[in-house]
Amino acid sequence: MATDTKKTTGRKKAARIRPWIQGFFFIFVLITSLNHLLEESGQSIPFWPQASLHAICPFGGVVSIYQFLTVGTFVQKIHESAFVLMAAAFVLAVLAGPVFCGWICPLGTFQEWISKLGRKLTGKRFDTYIPSKADRVLRYFRYVVLAWVIYQTAVTGKLIFQDVDPYFALFNLWSEELAPAALVVLGATALLSLITERPWCKYACPYGAVLGLSNKIRIFRIRRAPSTCIDCGACDRACPMGIKVSGLEVVKDHQCISCLECTSEYHCPVPATVELKVMGGDAK
Amino acid sequence: MKIRAWMLGVVAVGIMFGAVLISDALGYWQTESTKTPAVISTGEFAGKADPADIRGSYSFGDVEAAFDIKSEVLAEAFGVDPAEAEGFQLKSLETLYVALAEAGTEVGTGSVRYFVALYTGLPYELTEEVYLPQPAVDLLIEEGKVAGEAAEALKEIAVEIPAVETSVEAPGESTAESAPAAAVSTGEAEGGVVAEDLVIKGKTTFREVLDAGVSEAEIRSAIGAEMPNPLTVIKTFCTEQGLDFEAVKTVLQALVDAE
Repeated sequence: MATDTKKTTGRKKAARIRPWIQGFFFIFVLITSLNHLLEESGQSIPFWPQASLHAICPFGGVVSIYQFLTVGTFVQKIHESAFVLMAAAFVLAVLAGPVFCGWICPLGTFQEWISKLGRKLTGKRFDTYIPSKADRVLRYFRYVVLAWVIYQTAVTGKLIFQDVDPYFALFNLWSEELAPAALVVLGATALLSLITERPWCKYACPYGAVLGLSNKIRIFRIRRAPSTCIDCGACDRACPMGIKVSGLEVVKDHQCISCLECTSEYHCPVPATVELKVMGGDAK
Repeated sequence: MKIRAWMLGVVAVGIMFGAVLISDALGYWQTESTKTPAVISTGEFAGKADPADIRGSYSFGDVEAAFDIKSEVLAEAFGVDPAEAEGFQLKSLETLYVALAEAGTEVGTGSVRYFVALYTGLPYELTEEVYLPQPAVDLLIEEGKVAGEAAEALKEIAVEIPAVETSVEAPGESTAESAPAAAVSTGEAEGGVVAEDLVIKGKTTFREVLDAGVSEAEIRSAIGAEMPNPLTVIKTFCTEQGLDFEAVKTVLQALVDAE
């Protein structure tokens, strides 16, 4: 697609920073998780964090809110650090939407990497296997997952999501804590990523559901200028979440992950047509 | 005003790591449970760490940091390989000496609490049966931590620890000496229950007791008050209400075991 774009405009696209940041966080979490394992056997890397995966997952903070407010304690295995990261991700979300999903979450990165392979395998059929009607309905399923996780965690005081969490499974394949169900969900996510972009994010991620709500209130939004738009649909094709950006002037879709793939910096061939701008700013 | 991709990337990394740095500077960045016991609030020893608050999740290293007893001393007392002493978690004693638990003479976290109290001279009220490994008793007597009648009483609760893989100090005998308790309420069934059964510990919540089949009315009766939010940790509740956790635990454990 990027090649098509260059053909259309002859304009050089901005250097891509997102994959580097995604790769950085993926490796950071991977090494931290391995270091935690090493630390338990007394052989950790001295200068690297030894935190558990629970300690550096902001969703742990979300599921702990109820218990923290009612009892003043955290859910088992969750610590203050999860609250700090949750707050940071919320600040980012209010500012520019679910940036955590699009730029930081290693599971999102993992799915994108698998999808690159899927695109090569399936060609133009990629992202066409799931009927659009089913797709539209399934995209709200992640709110059901969110409600279930929060309710169950509030009732039990335990981190029940760990048993089905593909993110935890991905970075604990070597751990005794790895739950079979989580491994199955991770496997299903990887397989589905071969035929569609970010399936876990679209259909089941409870944290994505929470952060997705910020698309309704965020300060900086993806804005399209209809006056300069040439209706080429490049933005639609570039969106990993399948949002039809070309039909919108302001993207408020709850599934936007602020990856900026649709913007004029990357896939939109017309300068200053799709941009991340402050609410109320000129489209130009 | 618009944001370019590189700016958003910098902002994302900056906010995430900035939050970590700021919270760390403020002392709020905690990635694990604190391994610092509560301090004694009143009396001669006010301000000192309370042996009663030693948890099963503590390692010998944590105990050393809080009570200034060397890990090697603890390892010798409890028959643990000195090379593994610093990171050895107290709750591992239960599995290490499961044979003792089955014989009704469990050596576990309670034993460490009692040993620490005797070794440091800090106050500790015994409300349950406690047994100490023979090496622990020998060490306390040899170092003059206890003497006279107290030493004789300690010998009564000494048990021979069985040989285990990680232990280099443990004597070879595998039979536990049955001995009377230092102080008695009712016997704790902790070591005798099957793995699936709930064993009430320092982190157990009321929810877990409810899930084990104990009714709210029974819990009310056991704690002599309205049951708080089920997610409340029982030990925390007892501390806040001025209740004796060991006594409450014993009653609740009996209810759990009866289910």
